[in-house]
Amino acid sequence: MINSQEASAALMEIESLSRLVRQSVFYRHASTMLILWGVATFIGYLLSFFAPAAAPVIWAVVIVAGVICAIIIGALNKKREGVSTFDARATAAFIAFVAFGCLWSIVFGNMAPRQIAAFWTTYFMLPYVMTGFWFGRVFVVIGMSVIALTLLGYFLAGPWFTLWMAVVNGGGLLLGGLWMRRS
Amino acid sequence: MAELDDIIHQPLRLKIMAALNALHPTQGLDFPRLKKLTGATDGNLGAHIETLAKAGYVSVEKAFVGKKPQTTVTATAAGRGAFARHVATLREIIATAEGK
Repeated sequence: MINSQEASAALMEIESLSRLVRQSVFYRHASTMLILWGVATFIGYLLSFFAPAAAPVIWAVVIVAGVICAIIIGALNKKREGVSTFDARATAAFIAFVAFGCLWSIVFGNMAPRQIAAFWTTYFMLPYVMTGFWFGRVFVVIGMSVIALTLLGYFLAGPWFTLWMAVVNGGGLLLGGLWMRRS
Repeated sequence: MAELDDIIHQPLRLKIMAALNALHPTQGLDFPRLKKLTGATDGNLGAHIETLAKAGYVSVEKAFVGKKPQTTVTATAAGRGAFARHVATLREIIATAEGK
């Protein structure tokens, strides 16, 4: 039989491993979504740079395509691992989050396209930063980096801002996703 | 007081069971990920997985992903039960020492 210190050390080891495994599983699922939305936003900004007048249509198509791909990836995950990654509360929270953004950027806000791009990017990075407080500092780093680079581009990139956002926002999410997949 | 499970109590086997128990019952971990999580060497990990498999605590599935062989280890229902009892005993030891 072991003493209470040894028992306590064993329990701490179990708790530490459990946390690592849960984080690893979360990273694996989240990295796929980061890569997906990284590619989607990169394409959205790139097309918007070359055809600014069509930006609203481009973004509507990009977002709908992204959501459809996310649903397909979720279904494939469920089939492969036998575990559903769909979370009704998380989905409801996401819808409320987007609705709030639409309310202030479309209904109340009188924003220029440049401001809309900066608003949605920094707004979407907010939950990344907050998620990081619970699930891993990498989210905080990704979120804060993209916000800082967005602000830098907003004030300094001039007419290249949309292209800057393709690299910073799309590329940032893509690199973050690839890094998480590797870790 | 219940006895500790000798098979699970060995430090590396405890780590393996802790990692597998953190997953959904249908999920397993592949060998490289388990190796990374536990910090074990190939040979050591293989030997301890075999001990756990012989006790019926884990199932080992070998398959080919493309041309690469992949070994996936999953905790069985018996393994999950044994692990839960082992954790309960650890807690009991601490509670007894604290005079609860």
